[in-house]
Amino acid sequence: MLTVRDLHVRFGQAHILQGVSLELGEAPLAILGRNGMGKTTLCGAIAGLVAASEGEVTLDGARLSGLAPYRIARRGVALVPQGRRTFPSLSVHEHLKLVARRGGAWTIPRVYETFPRLAERRNNGGTELSGGEQQMLAISRALLMNPKVIVMDEPSEGLAPVIVDHLIGVLRDLPKDGMRLLLVEQNLRVATEVAAHVAIMVTGRIATTMPARALAEDTETQRRYLGVAAGGHH
Amino acid sequence: MGANDRMELAATIVLNGLTLAALYFIVASGFSLIFGLMRVVNMAHGTLYLVAGYVGYAVFEPLYDQDLWWAWYAGLAAGVLAAAVFGALLQQLLLGWMQGQELRQALVTIGISIIAADQILAIYGGNPRQFFAPDAIFGSTQVPLVGGYPTFRLVQIGVAVAVGVALWLLLNRTRLGMMIRAGVDDREMLGACGVNVPLVGVAVFALGAALCGLGGVIGSTAQPLAMGQDGRFLLISLVVVIVGGMGSVTGTAVGAILVGLAEQLGQAMFPTYSVVLTFVMMVAVLALRPQGILGRA
Repeated sequence: MLTVRDLHVRFGQAHILQGVSLELGEAPLAILGRNGMGKTTLCGAIAGLVAASEGEVTLDGARLSGLAPYRIARRGVALVPQGRRTFPSLSVHEHLKLVARRGGAWTIPRVYETFPRLAERRNNGGTELSGGEQQMLAISRALLMNPKVIVMDEPSEGLAPVIVDHLIGVLRDLPKDGMRLLLVEQNLRVATEVAAHVAIMVTGRIATTMPARALAEDTETQRRYLGVAAGGHH
Repeated sequence: MGANDRMELAATIVLNGLTLAALYFIVASGFSLIFGLMRVVNMAHGTLYLVAGYVGYAVFEPLYDQDLWWAWYAGLAAGVLAAAVFGALLQQLLLGWMQGQELRQALVTIGISIIAADQILAIYGGNPRQFFAPDAIFGSTQVPLVGGYPTFRLVQIGVAVAVGVALWLLLNRTRLGMMIRAGVDDREMLGACGVNVPLVGVAVFALGAALCGLGGVIGSTAQPLAMGQDGRFLLISLVVVIVGGMGSVTGTAVGAILVGLAEQLGQAMFPTYSVVLTFVMMVAVLALRPQGILGRA
């Protein structure tokens, strides 16, 4: 169980996270919200890239807050960051070799099987990939760490619709490998089809949490918190 | 002066320039490597040259007095090791705590270089000293166009080429190299991938310092080792990487060759103002291509 308890993050005067609490169990949890509500900061704070001023993050009871990012990663938290952040100097295959560990559910051959496009591009450098290919690479990089928790910050961003469908399939299968998924999304359809529950973030707080199915049908809540028409991509 | 003499002079100047460039490359490649990953402008880089030279000499001298053929190699190993340990400690004990604070790191390393230079003076005294290379790489070799040329200077070129190839292999063919390249791109994300970035940093610092140490012993075999060499080699490292491009092995090689040739050409053509030529080149590069000839924007 990943637990976030009363987490606050400040950048100078700006109070970005204002006491976020959430629990992530077996079932995937999605976090939705408009731009600038603190979703990316929350992902960074869980992965240790952003320092929290109050509150804590724990994984199976052990405190993660305050640890160096690589220690948090080794405890079993993988991040698919916003903007993908693949390494321009590394080829596709080098990215995978960098993180691959023996004895996990995800192996390099399985990644190539799941994303055949990456197998075709295995010797291409990080700068020669399209946005969608970089996104698949960033997701594969996280999967290969065989983490307990995978935090994804807008994985569907910039992907063609057919690839988004493929991605939804991959994400829905994560619990079978024992991975827990925290999915930050702007794409309502991805969030509601992958996650059991959806939390909505407004100005640095979780405003409300509801079953994904309920949100999918509740156009009033969608309009109020997300400013989207049903199923639309904001 | 006949055409043959002019030819010989030109060839000698070029060869002198290249041998000097070889030494500059060995020293500056370590500087560039450290900057590339750590973003530390290590103002104590020249100090590593002195540390390697003096510690290496302290090991070399008694062995040489006993006529042992491996005295020079032992001095070389000791000098390189001393520089590597010094560099690793510098990163682990001081610079690691101020990651990302470039001005503070620059000031701390300047402080270290002043303290270290005084300590070296206190321990070893101010007399210049010079290694004697083993017989196999001493003496002179016939070079076409140039005639007799010091063998050790040719060895210097060979070592520089070997260092360049080894660095390329390390960066492009090993796991550590993969981590270094990824860290140059995005240190934070490398950490989020579970890589112990501070440890990689210490390894890179030790490696960069070892290269400078290698340059220190080799340079102190070709020319005398004395106080003040630290400032000289720091300045040269800065000029070389500014001209060639920070953080690129090929760029460092190009920068070293240009600076080495410019220095020798200047000394032959207009000895009084030869120093100016190097800096004119640096200013020109900064004006036209501030990231360096092969640097990334």
